[in-house]
Order: sequence, then structure tokens, then C-alpha cells
Amino acid sequence: MRFTLNTMNTVLQALTRWLLVLVLWSGCDGRESELNVVSCGSLVKLLNTRHNVRLHSHDVKYGSGSGQQSVTGVENADDANSYWRVRGQTKSPCQRGAAIRCGQAIRITHMTTGRNLHTHHFTSPLSNNQEVSAFGEGGEGDDLDVWAVQCDGAHWDRDVAVRFMHVGTRVYLSVTGEQYGHPIRGQREVHAMPTANQHNWWRAMEGVFIQPSAAPLRHDEL
Amino acid sequence: MATKGMNVSHVCCLLVCFITAVLAGRDFYNILGVTKSASIRDIKKAYRKLALQLHPDRNQDDPEAPDKFADLGAAYEVLSDEEKRKQYDQYGEDGLKEGHGGSHNDIFSSFFGDFGFMFGGNRQQQDRNMPRGNDIVLDLEVTLEEVYSGNFVEVVRVKPVAKEAPGKRKCNCRQEMRTTQLGPGRFQMTQEVVCDECPNIKLVNEERTLEVEIEQGVRDEMEYPFIGEGEPHIDGEPGDLRFRIKVLKHPLFERRGDDLYTNVTISLVEALVGFEMDITHLDGHKVHIVRDKITKSGARLWKKGEGLPNIDNINIRGSLIISFDVEFPLLQLDDNQKDGIRSVLKQSSVQKIYNGLQGY
Repeated sequence: MRFTLNTMNTVLQALTRWLLVLVLWSGCDGRESELNVVSCGSLVKLLNTRHNVRLHSHDVKYGSGSGQQSVTGVENADDANSYWRVRGQTKSPCQRGAAIRCGQAIRITHMTTGRNLHTHHFTSPLSNNQEVSAFGEGGEGDDLDVWAVQCDGAHWDRDVAVRFMHVGTRVYLSVTGEQYGHPIRGQREVHAMPTANQHNWWRAMEGVFIQPSAAPLRHDEL
Repeated sequence: MATKGMNVSHVCCLLVCFITAVLAGRDFYNILGVTKSASIRDIKKAYRKLALQLHPDRNQDDPEAPDKFADLGAAYEVLSDEEKRKQYDQYGEDGLKEGHGGSHNDIFSSFFGDFGFMFGGNRQQQDRNMPRGNDIVLDLEVTLEEVYSGNFVEVVRVKPVAKEAPGKRKCNCRQEMRTTQLGPGRFQMTQEVVCDECPNIKLVNEERTLEVEIEQGVRDEMEYPFIGEGEPHIDGEPGDLRFRIKVLKHPLFERRGDDLYTNVTISLVEALVGFEMDITHLDGHKVHIVRDKITKSGARLWKKGEGLPNIDNINIRGSLIISFDVEFPLLQLDDNQKDGIRSVLKQSSVQKIYNGLQGY
């Protein structure tokens, strides 16, 4: 009888110790992922992991297709024209600092020109895929500016590659390596293609990531 | 004799008090100018305000400036950390377990950026010769509640930082004309790209936390710069990161300067007999309204001091202007009710025709 009581005691102790470890471990994990997510309102540079170029735009229009502002991939990491802002949709804005969920529909706005990442039924100039442009004024374009973030897990983690699927035409933001000549020599073509493959993985790199704020102080009367 | 004894004990008392005060360490709450129950936001706000005033570069003729600044940094470091603040509240400065880790410049730059101490004026002088990286401008959306009460936004900046790398790289590349001799008296001029040799640099991504203050009364389009937190330049200094405030529209209140406008629809009965109501303000406190006279449609009530705080002096507030409109009942009156109303209101027929659009 005493023998079984003793073993029960040690088993219980071991169990509680493991429970504590699990709780602490899961607790710590939760906090870390909170700090490393991409949140609403953040500014970010997106790196195509297969071709090592960053999503980029500038005041240069396509010479064919829609004639709208072009979107390319660049090799250097220190150009402010590679910054894009993560925003909610026009009718359903996201709360500043809230982590973007996997599957959430967002708009991706070019910082310096205020135009939204956009795609439509036009052919891309070099690879004959679907043309991706920067469209709109002052951050407002149309329904074809909406992209869904595809990833595993709960939120868009900064350390993990994700895919961007266009909600309007069901294609993926991709790079396959074709290069432009003058006047944007060396920049890669960014287009959209219907298949999910190794060419449409993107990772959040440099940026300004907004953390969620506490609500401002309230002075509710009794 | 008695007085002499008292004097000695007086002095002893003072001495003991003085010694304990010195030994107990610095009063961090006093240094920051906050109460013991100050919130983390109050502490950040106090640090930011005092850091600008006490920075040694701004007080070059005060020999105690570096010490005062160091005290301020130490106070913020302890009181902004929950654990350290608990220990300090219980045991005083001596009770703190580790020594003060991060440099005080680190704390300063999380509020103002890396070269914040240049304070605007000095920066212009450097601009002409040194190439600068791009500036980054981020639109920061704020709610009217935040404009009323203030807030802090924590931001993680991931940026490429130049680090030394082995070997050399080409820098300061330029076009030069080269003259080559092809034969006696015959020369050819060609253009060549000539570069200098510089120590090699690689860009490595580093993370740091920045604190952006949403000041009470902040206006739309106001900018908060963080010097040196923009894009790097491989041959020069980094650009700046600027947060541009965008005040969001509010469903209840409209802002005009420091004044707030709101509308209330009341029933015809309330307009005629009077009413009492509360409007919940942006920070939750209630604005009480009592009317016992007739309220016309379009009537305005001016509540002084219930607007937004002024950004330059938060003790001055604008007004809350409440405009009333009347909702008429949706019913058909029978002849008895019509007679009843005529006798109660005793208002004779008016039927005045006039041009309402030209102010006649």
C-alpha cells in the first residue's frame, strides 16, 4: 500500500512539473509569435525567396498592357521604393497593430506613390503571364486591389514565407526571373500566375512593424 | 540648557535623515516628475518631455547636465519595466538586482532616433557633402479617442545596418577621360569608369523598438521624425523615419480645430416640454444636458471646455457644440386632437412667404 502511494506521489510530482514546463513553454511561444508578426498598418519590404528580389515600384509606366505604373523585383536592399504598407479593405479597415491572420484579405499600398498592388486581365510584357501593376490615387483604387495572405498557422509570421493570392482573379503574385532592359535594367518582372509553386513565396524583410497599443485611458464615472 | 539639548538632537536627526536619504538612492519618481501610481504611459510621456530639455547637447554650459540626463535615463529604465519597478518600490535603488544595462543613449534614441541629439540645426550643415539614404514616411492612423487622451505606439524597426566585411569594394565611381597615344602625334580620348577602393561593407538587418507618442491634441498631417531610422546609404548617412499622423473620422464627433461638433435628434415632445440627457465623451466621462425650455430645430448648445486639448497647452480646451434636430411623430391627428393642439399652443397662423436661399 505504501509503495503504491509513494509511486503515485512521484508520478503526480513529475506530472505537475511537466505541466508547468508545458504551460511556460506554450506561454513563451505565444508571446514570441506576437512580436514577430506583420500587423495592420505596418510598412514592409517583401522578398521573393526563390529569386532573391524585393517587390518594388516607381514612377515608370508599362509600355504595353494596361500602361499603368509598373511593379518589378529589385536586387538591392536599401531602396525606399521597395516599401509597401499593409492595409485592410476600403469597407472593412483593420485595426492598427492587429496581427494579419492567415487568409485575411488586405491591400498592399506602395509607400512613395500611394498606389495599390493590383492585377487584372492584361498580359505581362516579358513572360505573358498576368500583368501586376500599381493602381489608384492616395491609397484608393478599386476591388482588384485586394489580395489574400496564404500561410499556415494563425498569423502572418515575419520569419515565414507566405503567398499572396489575388481575390478577384484567383492568381498568385510571382517572379520567374525575366529581366527588363533600359531604363530599368536588371529589374525582374513581377506578374501573377494561376499555379501555386516555388516562384510565389514571399517573406517580410525590412520594415516598420506596428505593435498593438493599449486603449487610451478612460475616465468612466461611477 | 533645554534649547541647547534640542539643537543637538535636531542636528543629529537631520544628519540621520540626510544619510538615509543619500544611502537610499535616487528618487526616480521625483526625477521623472510623476506620482507613485503613474501609468506606463505617463512615465513614457514624462521621459520624452524631459529628455528633450535635459539632453547634454542642449545644455552645453551646465556641468551637471550629463549627470541629470543619466539620472533621467536610469529612472525611465527602472520605472518602465514592471519587474524592476516592483523591486524599486519595495527596496529602493539599492534593492535592484542587476546594474543598469543598456546605455542611456539607447533609451533616448528609441524615442527620437539615432541622431536625435543633432536637434535639427546641426543636421543642415552636414547635408551638403554627405550623401543621404532615403526618408521613410509612414501614415499612422489615430482615433479621436487617442487625440483626446494621448497614447504611445510601439514600433519594431527592422533596418539594414552597414557592417564591416572582409576585403575591399569599389566606391565613388565616376567617369573620367583617358588619353591614349596611338602613334606619334596621334591621340585617342576615351571615357573610362574609375573607382576608388573603400573598406568593404555588407548590409545586415537589425531590429530595434521605437516609441511614437500620439500627443494630446495632435493635428492631422503632423509628423514625428526619428532621425537616422530611414534607409541606409552605403557611402553616407541614413535618412529619417517620419510618422505622419492621420486622424480617422469618428461616428459621433466631428473635429474642427480644437472644437468638437455633434448632433442629437430629439422627439417633438422633448423639443416642446424639455428633456435631460448624457453624452458619453471620448474618454468615457459624461456630459450632462438639461433643457426645460422649448428647443428649436437647429438650436445649438455650446459646452465650453468639452472640446479637444490644444497641442501646445493641454490645459486649454476647445468647446463641444451640440446641434439639435427634431423628429416629428408619424401619426395622423383626428379633429379633436387638432383642436387640442391649437388650444394648447395658442400660436396664430403665420404663413410667411420669403426667399430662404438669399437670406431675406
